[in-house]
Amino acid sequence: MANEEKTGSETIGAAGPKGKMTLFKDDRAEDIGAIIVTVIIVAVIVLLKMK
Amino acid sequence: MSSESPGFFRQLPGALPGLALIIITMVVIRLWVEPWMGSVVIFGDKGWLVQTFHLNYILLGILCGLLYRNVIFGGTMPDVFLGGFKMSRLMIKTGIIMLGSLYTFAAIVQLGSMAIFLIGGFVILTIIMVLWLGKIFGLDRSMTGVLANALSICGVTAAVATSPGVEAKGSHVAYAIATILGFGILTMFISPFIGHALNMTDLQYGAWIGTGILNSGQVLAAALAFNPNVAPGTAVSIAEIWNIMRVISIPFAVFAVTVWYWAGKEESDSAGKKKGLGTLLVEKFPVFVIGFMAMVFLTSLGAFGDVGIKGGPPASDVIKTLRLVMTWIFGFGLVGLGGFIDFKELRQAGGTPLKVGLIVGATKYILALAVVFLIKDYLVSI
Repeated sequence: MANEEKTGSETIGAAGPKGKMTLFKDDRAEDIGAIIVTVIIVAVIVLLKMK
Repeated sequence: MSSESPGFFRQLPGALPGLALIIITMVVIRLWVEPWMGSVVIFGDKGWLVQTFHLNYILLGILCGLLYRNVIFGGTMPDVFLGGFKMSRLMIKTGIIMLGSLYTFAAIVQLGSMAIFLIGGFVILTIIMVLWLGKIFGLDRSMTGVLANALSICGVTAAVATSPGVEAKGSHVAYAIATILGFGILTMFISPFIGHALNMTDLQYGAWIGTGILNSGQVLAAALAFNPNVAPGTAVSIAEIWNIMRVISIPFAVFAVTVWYWAGKEESDSAGKKKGLGTLLVEKFPVFVIGFMAMVFLTSLGAFGDVGIKGGPPASDVIKTLRLVMTWIFGFGLVGLGGFIDFKELRQAGGTPLKVGLIVGATKYILALAVVFLIKDYLVSI
């Protein structure tokens, strides 16, 4: 059976969720999360600096 | 199937204590410890600690994370803090996407063409060297495949991404990761000293560590440890372009190593595991790079005002604030990264994989330094 490890399980001995180095289900979800966080931060900075 | 973790938002409240610890640590370092180090007089020298050890908030943050896990908490991050520390890669990726505001497309083309040449050359050479040494040392084929991509691209992500295609066991991935992280930690701490000792410019240093250091987080840490400023032309801006080029090559390298693995394996029943390059590109492409490119696009359009490139108009208020926020986000992320360096786990590295890893890692690190000095006149700054 295909025992594919999800990317994101990136600590050593990361067999289960406890060893994962992320709260996301995999790398891709984390990437999308990072993009969303960036959009929020940039929007807040631009709004704050608008005169 | 049984080990599905709950969703991000359900875990978020549990991450708050760890996040608080990370934030408090970095605030204390930046507001009190760093200024104190810069002003304290030791051996008659003001700022001796900074001048001698090149200590700054980045190195101190990593050291604190390392100390929390390995000394204060006795080797295991307590559950109450674990969730917060698992946010560290999210912070590092967020910071890298925001770094896109340092570049315009013109600068990327200038820097990127040299980066593609160097990174491409080093990725291919490293893979060939690991496959060759794996054969000489009689390493298991799956182990060799995982190690090849771990050492050639960006460490941990590449090792994990390669493992299904080469039928690697958990222990293969663990060995590869322990080897590269152990080597990477060493290079992360010694590189700033070497860079200063050799009087390297930000451009030379960024190109060197962007090529020679194995792991993305460690490239970032080593760059900011050399020069904590975040602006066009600083070490971090150069190293990250190099690193992004390397990260983009993950699906291609996974494909190449998977083809090598199956080509050398006698006809077997599991041919279904072979995947085409198109499938791998869709599955493994690091999506945060798209966010980075979107930031570059917006910056090139002038959406955030002037970037502050040397000789041009000063950076706009938005850009200055973005850069300040970035330094904090990186600081938080690197405290978290330090919290994931576990000395016990690093001891898992050993035997032949470690030998191959050290030979290849050291060769790449030294060769990258030599190449950067050889082509220093051709390196283009931004």
